[in-house]
Amino acid sequence: MVEGTDGSGKSTQLYLLKRWLEIGGYRLHFTEWNSSPLVKSATRRGKQRRLLTPTTFSLLHAADFADRCERQIMPLLQGDYLVLADRYIYTAFARDAARGCPARWLRNLYRFAPIPDITFYFRAPLDVAVHRILSGRPKLKYYEAGMDLGMSYDRAESFRLFQARILEGYDKMVDTDNFVVLDGTLPVNKLQKQMRDIVASKIDLKRFAPHAPESE
Amino acid sequence: MPDQEKEKPAAAAPPTETTAVAPAPPVTAKTAAVTEEASSQYFFGEPLVGFDPSEITGSLIVIEGMDGSGRSTQIALLQEWLESEGFAVQTSGLRRSNLVGRDIDELLAKNAATRLTLALMYATDFFDQVEHRILPALRSGTIVLADRFIFTLIARGVVRGINRDYMSGLYAMALRPHLTFWLNVRPETAFGREFKKAQAISYWEAGRDMSLSHDLYWSFIRYQTMIKREFEVMAKKYNFLELDGEASVPAVNKQLRQRISEQLGIRATKYTPSAALAHLWR
Repeated sequence: MVEGTDGSGKSTQLYLLKRWLEIGGYRLHFTEWNSSPLVKSATRRGKQRRLLTPTTFSLLHAADFADRCERQIMPLLQGDYLVLADRYIYTAFARDAARGCPARWLRNLYRFAPIPDITFYFRAPLDVAVHRILSGRPKLKYYEAGMDLGMSYDRAESFRLFQARILEGYDKMVDTDNFVVLDGTLPVNKLQKQMRDIVASKIDLKRFAPHAPESE
Repeated sequence: MPDQEKEKPAAAAPPTETTAVAPAPPVTAKTAAVTEEASSQYFFGEPLVGFDPSEITGSLIVIEGMDGSGRSTQIALLQEWLESEGFAVQTSGLRRSNLVGRDIDELLAKNAATRLTLALMYATDFFDQVEHRILPALRSGTIVLADRFIFTLIARGVVRGINRDYMSGLYAMALRPHLTFWLNVRPETAFGREFKKAQAISYWEAGRDMSLSHDLYWSFIRYQTMIKREFEVMAKKYNFLELDGEASVPAVNKQLRQRISEQLGIRATKYTPSAALAHLWR
């Protein structure tokens, strides 16, 4: 499970971790935040027409997560699969709280989520993360930039202010939610090495290895 | 404003009337210091993000009850009565939001969603209506007649095995209605009425997803009985005004009008429906 602000490098790292495990032949499933087909059309419509408020934004994402949780994550965990998640409930805790949703309400909302074995938190200084996103993307989307909060009319500036709040939210969870903090500014291959070492030491990977043939 | 909301200690716990209802109070309830009177007057728990409750001048009146309890009939009549008295009226009901109303219809038709996903989609639908329809109406002094509210949604989740605290926590930011009527009927009566309406009983009305019985009648009765029990559990906690839904339409309507008149501070007047609604008056 990886978490971190936009531009912290988490998706790249999780992809590499996934490749490593795939090549090793382990049973695994990869799931992404906000990807359930059931909820997707509603989210898209809400974003396009700007119907979403902090509360409904949060609830739709919870519905998306519930769908993936009930239909993929839980059954696969039961069946001894490694589940890799690009963003998890902590994204909602940090982001929706940055939008003003009460923390206690959010914690209750996601109470059904299984606690991850490892939560990697890719921490990158605000400037680095913001620069990565702004230089790589032609235009920030409305909700992505936190424009709905009315903090600034300038999308880049709004994005920056929004990300600062989110970062603060993540930092608060490091201890309470046992984040494994990694330095998002390190070179990609170094970070990946750290990540693989931690996975290998904390997870009994043999459990997820392909079933050995009955006899030689 | 969102900032201020955030700063409030998470301990602004809902004023949970600790009846025997709630199995175990949430851990944080211990720290529930002074609850904010202002917001608890309008919300069950946490205030809704970015909303100032002092602006409410309308009334929120909820009619709850199972399928076939006569809710829709009574709401149509009440709307006409209130309008004839000069009040602006707005109605709301489940699956009517612009945001996800139709998505839920689709999920139900395909029976594609699991219970939690469905519960959260309904919550999205509910809050979208609160924020875009109900609150603006209440702010402009309109009377909102709600055909069902969070109680049906909570009951449906709980009978499907979702934790009761989870469900009520989900709706902690729901508006507290000025009046909540519960039209209580026997499931057997409701079955007859519903069947007469459509010459059939729908999959969801009968709770078929719960595998209670292959016999539609028994499935309906068992399911609605479970829902009814949840309503009994909530009746006290949420101050339901229980009415006998087996009584005649005019008799139930009279009781509703009396109580609503009191609430609105008007004299209870005589009412007979116009020709357009006369067929409901029996």
